[in-house]
Amino acid sequence: MDAVEAVRMAVRAVRSHKLRSTLTVIGIVIGIASVITFATFGASLKADVVAEIGDTSASNVYLLTSPDEDRGFAQALQPVFTDHDLAEIRSIDGVRAVIPQGVVPASAVRYQGDTIARSQLTATTTETFEGSEFVEGRAFEPGAQEIVLNRAAAAGFEENVTVGSSLAVVRRSNETVAVTVVGIVNSTQGGLPFGDFGGQPRFYLPADPFYDTTVESPTVGVNQRVYPSATVRTDPARTTAVKVAIRESLETSDAASLVPEGTGVTARTSTDFVAQIEEIIDQLTRFVTGIAVIALIVGAIGIANIMLVSVTERTREIGIMKAIGATNREVMVLFLVESSVLGLLGALIGVPVGTAAGWGAAAYAEIGFQLAPLWFAIAVAVGLGVGIAAGLYPAWTAASVDPIEALRYE
Amino acid sequence: MDVNTQRSAAEPVVVLDGVRKRYEMGTTVEALAQVSLELERGSFTAVMGPSGSGKSTLLNLVGALDTPTSGHVSLDGRDLGATTERERAAIRGERVGFVFQTFNLMPRLTALENVELPLVFQEWGRAERRERATDLLESVGLGDRLDHRPAELSGGQRQRVGIARALAPEPSLLLADEPTGNVDTATGDRIMGRLQAVHEAGRTILLVTHERRIAEYADRIVHLRDGLIEEVEEL
Repeated sequence: MDAVEAVRMAVRAVRSHKLRSTLTVIGIVIGIASVITFATFGASLKADVVAEIGDTSASNVYLLTSPDEDRGFAQALQPVFTDHDLAEIRSIDGVRAVIPQGVVPASAVRYQGDTIARSQLTATTTETFEGSEFVEGRAFEPGAQEIVLNRAAAAGFEENVTVGSSLAVVRRSNETVAVTVVGIVNSTQGGLPFGDFGGQPRFYLPADPFYDTTVESPTVGVNQRVYPSATVRTDPARTTAVKVAIRESLETSDAASLVPEGTGVTARTSTDFVAQIEEIIDQLTRFVTGIAVIALIVGAIGIANIMLVSVTERTREIGIMKAIGATNREVMVLFLVESSVLGLLGALIGVPVGTAAGWGAAAYAEIGFQLAPLWFAIAVAVGLGVGIAAGLYPAWTAASVDPIEALRYE
Repeated sequence: MDVNTQRSAAEPVVVLDGVRKRYEMGTTVEALAQVSLELERGSFTAVMGPSGSGKSTLLNLVGALDTPTSGHVSLDGRDLGATTERERAAIRGERVGFVFQTFNLMPRLTALENVELPLVFQEWGRAERRERATDLLESVGLGDRLDHRPAELSGGQRQRVGIARALAPEPSLLLADEPTGNVDTATGDRIMGRLQAVHEAGRTILLVTHERRIAEYADRIVHLRDGLIEEVEEL
């Protein structure tokens, strides 16, 4: 019996029990659709997050401290990078700029009698604003009593803050410092890749003179400013090589000796961050998809069940087929093809259903929709595989039917 | 098939030599005790006997559905006891045509597809299959019922489909198991007329029945009782 004939007969058998076949296929559709939904949603989430990070320059290398187990994000930001370290890195070939970021502790910012609470302001250098899009004004000058706000920060006051406005920063010591607004930016290039997530209000002050976290440099023995993180701009053609050089330089840095036990000093590109986030989303997707596989297993049991019923119902037909020359193998193939047709049908319907559900979920979560074509292929293969696996035992039962008994079967 | 037609007419199609068949069903049941029988090519033999006489067992052995406990059954010179299940399936498909009391047609297939089915298992091409099945159905007078399903046919028509199906692979032997058991007398006579025509066309037939009237269509009647041949009656 050739394959075409086997498929024709299987399709005919499936069609002859429309309701039963439909219900069985629905089981597989639900399983496959769940898997596709989660896989698609995961892919969409990943693409969305990656696109968000991808906005920042891929040629940046970020210096920060992180827990030794290279897992999770660098939450434990400790001030370890001294001016000495940054100067060393600045001297590496291929480095275009080193932009430290620190925190200026504060209690509030005041403008024309309107006081808003603010626990910290960002201390950085002028290079932060290279390539930034200014709504108005310019970057601050080092050593000046100047401040740059992002739009969210400027919008935080009742009165309109513009270039030339004078703000009062209330520091933790209760000392009030007057600063002049010199620029309002849309976004900045400095900061960590996620710095501008959600349009948080940000106030940028020149590290000199506002940043006053210092430590005695273990290598040069003098008090220096020390920062928890820094962004290194590199020659885009050499980012990876520069990252390696920076890592080498960090091994003998002040940061390496200042960092507490259990914490490491790292230099990562945004690609590294993206890879890390992708890894985390992939793990989540695999986990949730794994749960969806349970639905698929239930569907497979449905196929096995209906095929067993089918074998029993068709015992006599099996007897007839054997009497007129069907081998055990041919009988087995017929039933296997039939269960595969059920599984394949489920996959072919489940893929678009799951894709539609994934699209709906992405729309609901307000993230961009991304197809997961690899999962389509997997789903079809799994549908077929499930059909075959679920059909194996029933098909074997059919093949072992004794034709003499079967022909007598009523 | 070519091998069959080239075979000398003198060689019997079926030889049973000291065949015993025992079943273990709690106690040992001896369905066939010691049966030796030959079916000459082109002969028409009827097997008669009460129920439990071993008729069905004999048919199953000759039809390669079963193997003997001892003794030998050979078909076209081939010892069926020495065959694998797969080989017996091939023998059933190529050399034997079954006609059943309850017709045993595939309910979802049309008359034409039912007749084609043995040829599907023989790997015939689609066009040849269709042509052969159409010819056969026309020869049994069902040329206008090709696309009818068994449920849409009368008992007599169904049995004619059954005969056409049995003849499809040009078998050496036609086995008919109470072919008239499920139809009225007039229809039964017409069915026997068909079988007689098949016989006259040179086919070897083994018929199992418990009706003397039906058995008399054959050339000889083998009387079975308690698993033994009681008498062979030449007609």
